[in-house]
Amino acid sequence: MTGVVNPNLHREVAAYGAGNVDLCMNCGHCTAVCSISPELGTAFPRRIIHLLQVGREEALTQTVEPWLCYYCGDCSESCPRDARPSDTMMAARRWLTARYDWTRLAGIFYRFGWVQIAAILLVALVVMAAFAIYHGPVVTSHVALNTFAPVAGVELVDRIAAGILAFLLISNAIRMAWSFMGGSQMLKVPVRIYAQQVPQFISHYFTQRRWRRCSTAPSRKRWMAHLLLFSGYVSMQILVELLLGWFQTDTVYPFYYPQRLWGYYAAATLLYGTGYFLVSRWRKLKPMHQTSEVSDWLFVGLIFLVALTGILVHIFRLSGLPLATYITYAIHLAIAASLIAIFVPFGKWSHLLYRPLALYLTAVKQAAAAALAEQPDLAPAEEPAVPDGDVPDGDKPDAIPVIAVATEEV
Amino acid sequence: MSEPRKIGVFICHCGGNISDYVDVEAVRATVEQEPDVALARTTMFACSDASQQEMIEAIHKEGLDGMVVASCSPKLHLYTFRGVADRAELNPYRYVQANVREQCSWSHREDRAGATQKATAIVRAGIAKAAASESLENFRVETLPAVLVIGAGVAGMRAAISLADLGLAVHLIERAEHPGGNLRTFGATFPNNRSGSELIQTLLEEIQQRETITLYTGAEVIERSGSAGTFRVTVRLSNAETITVPVGAVIVATGFDSYTPAEGEYGYGLPGVVTLPEFRRILDESNADGQSSAGPITVGGRPIKTIAYIYCVGSREAEDENRTYCSRYCCTATVHTALLVNARDPSVNQYHLYRDMRTYGKYELLFEQASRQGSVFVRWDPDQPPEVRGGGKRLLVSAADVLDGGDRMEIPVDLTVLVTGMVPSANEALVDTLKLPLGKTGFLNEIHTKLRPVETVINGVMIAGAAQGPKTISESVASSLAAVTKSAGLLLKGYVDLEPFVARVDAARCTGCDECLTACPYEALQKITIDGRDVVQAIPSLCKGGGACVPSCPEEAIDLMGYTNQQITSMIDAFAREVEYA
Repeated sequence: MTGVVNPNLHREVAAYGAGNVDLCMNCGHCTAVCSISPELGTAFPRRIIHLLQVGREEALTQTVEPWLCYYCGDCSESCPRDARPSDTMMAARRWLTARYDWTRLAGIFYRFGWVQIAAILLVALVVMAAFAIYHGPVVTSHVALNTFAPVAGVELVDRIAAGILAFLLISNAIRMAWSFMGGSQMLKVPVRIYAQQVPQFISHYFTQRRWRRCSTAPSRKRWMAHLLLFSGYVSMQILVELLLGWFQTDTVYPFYYPQRLWGYYAAATLLYGTGYFLVSRWRKLKPMHQTSEVSDWLFVGLIFLVALTGILVHIFRLSGLPLATYITYAIHLAIAASLIAIFVPFGKWSHLLYRPLALYLTAVKQAAAAALAEQPDLAPAEEPAVPDGDVPDGDKPDAIPVIAVATEEV
Repeated sequence: MSEPRKIGVFICHCGGNISDYVDVEAVRATVEQEPDVALARTTMFACSDASQQEMIEAIHKEGLDGMVVASCSPKLHLYTFRGVADRAELNPYRYVQANVREQCSWSHREDRAGATQKATAIVRAGIAKAAASESLENFRVETLPAVLVIGAGVAGMRAAISLADLGLAVHLIERAEHPGGNLRTFGATFPNNRSGSELIQTLLEEIQQRETITLYTGAEVIERSGSAGTFRVTVRLSNAETITVPVGAVIVATGFDSYTPAEGEYGYGLPGVVTLPEFRRILDESNADGQSSAGPITVGGRPIKTIAYIYCVGSREAEDENRTYCSRYCCTATVHTALLVNARDPSVNQYHLYRDMRTYGKYELLFEQASRQGSVFVRWDPDQPPEVRGGGKRLLVSAADVLDGGDRMEIPVDLTVLVTGMVPSANEALVDTLKLPLGKTGFLNEIHTKLRPVETVINGVMIAGAAQGPKTISESVASSLAAVTKSAGLLLKGYVDLEPFVARVDAARCTGCDECLTACPYEALQKITIDGRDVVQAIPSLCKGGGACVPSCPEEAIDLMGYTNQQITSMIDAFAREVEYA
């Protein structure tokens, strides 16, 4: 169970915007105030910071603990050395995202904000150029959006893009799960347990309910804002990916028709949610808003712009302004495309998958450990499998997973 | 005793500390019946001014010729009540303190009757001792206004300067060829980076300006005679000549040696494994070589990019080993070294494998600074010490990280620094010559850690600096100046009064058998001839009142004044008597 350390690790992670790791004296104030540590039975987040200081790169790659954190900022407020542990957890998530990403683009985007901006602009330009070249006939007598951009074509491109991005994201997520569950020395967890815990994934995905256990009252408010934003985002995603033909019509339905109401709901919650987070980051009143990386501004800002341009398209169309509608529509799609192309597999969007997945896999491990404790005959374990972190090196042939160690000892 | 004595007994309530557990009134009523007791009283606080005044009046009024106060430990108030007797013109050595607090009320809180019985016996024994007491006088010895300082390190040199400034002549002797001790060639010291060699140079210049300091290098003490105030110490000089210096006091400031690890201890002996002092020498020398103070560090041609410091090497060992103590200075010295390394080359990664960080007091700031600069602190447990392995160009240090549940990790390093503590300097001959007391750790021992921290059981011999135990430079100098003050207190008056608790040999009974001569560790007995008979005589100025001679005498010819055989046996008799309450 030995790991060779990387003495430069803390410098590397610092490039992802870590809190001041060097300041940490491992006192554990952060662990004492964090609601996650008692649930995990580990010294989170102190231990993560310590692994970073010491350079335990492998151990850090194998843990998903940073994903369990919803960034309430209690730890940073309690830190006597102002080492900002919550920012370090944020940086750890960015670093982990980069580790999972086999294309290595995530690491580049996170570390070099200008590259990320350039990539976003590039995608946007490509989309604008595609519109310039491939758009349908421009009808100026009235608004005929489906003539300018036929739904079937847009939907096809949408789905192809979604497929590619989903492939990238899911392959990264598999890498995350692979290293967390023990890599080539995979923990032997019965499929039954994986299946039993699926509701965990779904409930965490749709409600972010773990966040509500983070202690402070402002955290509740942030949870609400985030939940609204999330619901708006998911609504938008369903409307454009699955129901575009129903949503993008030349016929203007009365406002109480479901596609219009749903669209208004999505627009309103997206604007409110992004506005809330942009203003919070700007005012810096709470620890989690005090440090914002380029990627943070871009992610929230682009969602805001997507919603804003979407509303403009709608207004121009209702006002009967064909050209304004077409141009705004092209801009709207350019922003949306750059948002998902850069942030889904290589950026902050990925937390939509990584966080519930981490919560799910942690629950799986805990359930497996509990099952093992109940039935020691099946796989005798002296020590219950630790839910996280102590899983040995997946890449090293001599590394043995926790459960296997216990078996050998008996 | 021909006629009864007139002894006054005062039994203290100690505000309840005694009277809550001992029936002091019953004790008083019982001991009042003793034939030698003229007066027995209880008092709320015997040590209060009013109570002391009452005692003085009673001594005068009743014409008392002995006094017993039954109260606390004599460690607390023996001198208080001797003073009371003295002020009442009663010989202070006719006063006896009976300890009925520490040895009775506090130890028997659950048994009032038993405690009262025991207190009665203790007071009776005190009365018996007082009844057999006689008037004694202190010895006055003229003192010499000169001090011998052994060891010219920072502590000894600083002591010499202050002694000279107080008007005392100083003989400063150093075993090595050059003065300066461990600091002589040392570079930056914590906390202010002042160079050790500069410190020594400054002290040396000060010493050279003072004519009353004589510095002998390459010199060693070979003999000592005399006693506090009038020592005669023989010194062998570098040219093999011997001189004898008459001094009133001796300050021993012989410093420390750095612990040298055994071959293979934490990889010691492998290339790239050095002790902290060795590493400091490497750093200092590479600076002196004209290498700029910034830039990469190389050891043996190898560029150093990662360093592991292993703390507590040769310190805080298990009970069955030699060095169980903490050397106190090394944590701070290592953290300070890390700062020096960082100043030279900020890209060096520094791992501190520690057991407990003891950068106490304001040195905590150095720890924090090192931490801010990126020094990594990894705690280990003595059950799972770090291991150092060689092989290839780098060393592999494996450590079980306490803060990560004891998980072992491997740190590839270019240099491993073993943070070695202090050990007593090799001084067997000197210890033997001066009969210096050694503690369990082999360092020189003071009389009382807190209350008499620089004096030894040998009157007139003080200890200073790291000879007493591991110390920082500041602590060494502080203790050396304390030793100066104690020496000056002894010598500047011009005389010293010694307590009269010394051996007295009854020449009539002495057969000159020599048994006592070998029993005395202080050489305070000598053979003389009286009327053609060889008899032994005690030398009061050398006698420590140890009493080893008393039981050694087959003729019972020796008595220890203040603790005579008669006093002790009468005390035992008093203890043994049945207590019947009045």
